[in-house]
Amino acid sequence: MGQQIKFALLQSTHRVVVVLVRFLPGLLAFLLAVAVLALIGFLLAALIRRLLTATRFDERIKANEKISSPVNFSDWAPSHSPTLLISRVILWVCILAGVAIGISAFDASYSADTQVSLFALPYLTHLLGAILILFTGNLLARFLARSVLIGAVNAQLQYARFLSFGVKWLVLVLTAAMALDHLQIGGTVVELAFGILFGGIVLTLSLAIGLGSRDLVSRSIEKSIEKPLPARPTEDSPATEVRETPGPKLRHF
Amino acid sequence: MSSSPIADISNASPLETAPAVRSTDGSRATLLICLPSLGIDGLQTMQERVVATLPGQSVVLASPDVLPDNESSTEHLRLVGYPAGPPHVSWTLVAGDFLTAADLAREHNASAIMLLGAEAASLLPAGLHALATCILNQRVDLALPRYKTGPHDALVSSALLYPLTNALFGVGTHLPLPLDAAFSLRMAERLAAAARRLGNAAQSMPLVWPAAEASIASYVVREIEVGERTLPHPGDTDLNSLLAEVAGSLFTDIEAKAPFWQRSRSSISALQTSEPVRLGSETEELAEVRAMAESFRSAYLNLQEIWSLVLPPQSLLALKKLSLAPPESFLMPADLWARVVYDFVLAYHLRTINRGHLLGALTPLYLAWVTSHLRRSAGDATLSSQHVEETASAFSNEKPYVVARWRWPDRFNP
Repeated sequence: MGQQIKFALLQSTHRVVVVLVRFLPGLLAFLLAVAVLALIGFLLAALIRRLLTATRFDERIKANEKISSPVNFSDWAPSHSPTLLISRVILWVCILAGVAIGISAFDASYSADTQVSLFALPYLTHLLGAILILFTGNLLARFLARSVLIGAVNAQLQYARFLSFGVKWLVLVLTAAMALDHLQIGGTVVELAFGILFGGIVLTLSLAIGLGSRDLVSRSIEKSIEKPLPARPTEDSPATEVRETPGPKLRHF
Repeated sequence: MSSSPIADISNASPLETAPAVRSTDGSRATLLICLPSLGIDGLQTMQERVVATLPGQSVVLASPDVLPDNESSTEHLRLVGYPAGPPHVSWTLVAGDFLTAADLAREHNASAIMLLGAEAASLLPAGLHALATCILNQRVDLALPRYKTGPHDALVSSALLYPLTNALFGVGTHLPLPLDAAFSLRMAERLAAAARRLGNAAQSMPLVWPAAEASIASYVVREIEVGERTLPHPGDTDLNSLLAEVAGSLFTDIEAKAPFWQRSRSSISALQTSEPVRLGSETEELAEVRAMAESFRSAYLNLQEIWSLVLPPQSLLALKKLSLAPPESFLMPADLWARVVYDFVLAYHLRTINRGHLLGALTPLYLAWVTSHLRRSAGDATLSSQHVEETASAFSNEKPYVVARWRWPDRFNP
């Protein structure tokens, strides 16, 4: 009996060690590929930066740009320097190439009959995609929340901050649901939960605005009615002649 | 760079009787007058007015209402159409207008150009004569009109455009975004070049800032009083969008011309403040002030976080005090408004936050200035003018602040 237990333990230990032995070279290959390509990228980026600086690349780009264009190259570059942007792009392309080579080496370290790579590698790409979705969703939520806040304040809505908060969390909930769906976590449970939560937030906003904030809404509406602003601007009363209350007519332009 | 203001600003009254317009070298210089679409009757009226106002002057009158088949000419007046279809219809002069004017001037060998905007038919004949005289006889490169306006008119120009243009470019024109303008041929070429840099004017209507362009070229600028004129309406666009468009265009222009205004020196005048008018309890102005003060209070509570990304602590503290002030004592100091605007210009340059958001966050602060203006002027034109000049002086006095922050933005980071 004791011999059998000992044998079972030795065998399981042996299997784990074998798996680790198979796993470690792949991991080392991955790290080596990323390190080497990162070093190559760093050297290439430095070389490109020196070359572009010597040829006054930034000045030439700015001289050819139109001020009013929304897609000026230098506007999107860090510190308005296209040279810096290009060198950083080269660096990150090399790092990503290293990651791709490393993942491929990691995959090659497994024998054909193992199923680890069948699941791990696609899941890594899904994980990257989910991280990207979360990052983008977070940026979008903050941008939309700020836009709604400023727009609502300038429209003199009393519940501007509440609207902004609601919009932000709507987008964040949507983003989280998309990320979980992308990772194939939860399945229909996540879909149902998202639907319930999203619908709940929308219903809450509607109830709060329609019923729960009746006083705030009615005061806002009363103020809007008192002002002559909601009338469609005509030749005699354009939108930029603001009349907050019956008082002196203001012409902003 | 000269230490005195580059532009020669003087206010000449058009109401004095002037001699017949003659060019300085004795020959007849051709004046090109570009009109907006006025209809056939309006065009006829303008034609007669030009002939009566500028007798003996060689004039080319360009109008989009003139078809190629209907072009005509008399001894001194030629009626022509626009070469590439009608220009954009806008409440103010845009880049396309300057481009078209320059093209027409080259085509017809004009030595001076007068560009008239929407509602041009309301311009008084004396004003028309004054602009033409100035540009033809006085060796002025750019003549900008100053209209007789009420205390509540052109508030954005009074609050923002005039003080900034005066402080940074040394040009004290009260309407830097002109409704009409008269300029020399070399000024027209310069404005056309600026318009081309702004992009394809056929797809959008970017704004050109003639006063700033003249200033950096060391051209002579003059402001002429032309009496009353109907100010055109900007249409259905709301204040927020329009202010963002105009302020954004000016901030972009300031950013592009930073090497110039950081070196130029404009005269710094002593800031003289006057006591605000004590408003009675029943005045319309007080009711307006009360409503706008309440709006500012709400805006401060909601936008404080956004303003804290742009404004330094002392400005935020001053705005907080302002938001807590009762309507009867609601008053934004001129130097505070100047520093706030400069901080927004800097944030626009550094892209501290999204530019659209930045300009949207400026609107409540501008309305706070308007509220203070109402308190200061109480409907009186003289007091209104005095407050506008105080604001302009504050901008000039605070110029070292923006120059220092522009050069060393990392020294202070809110």
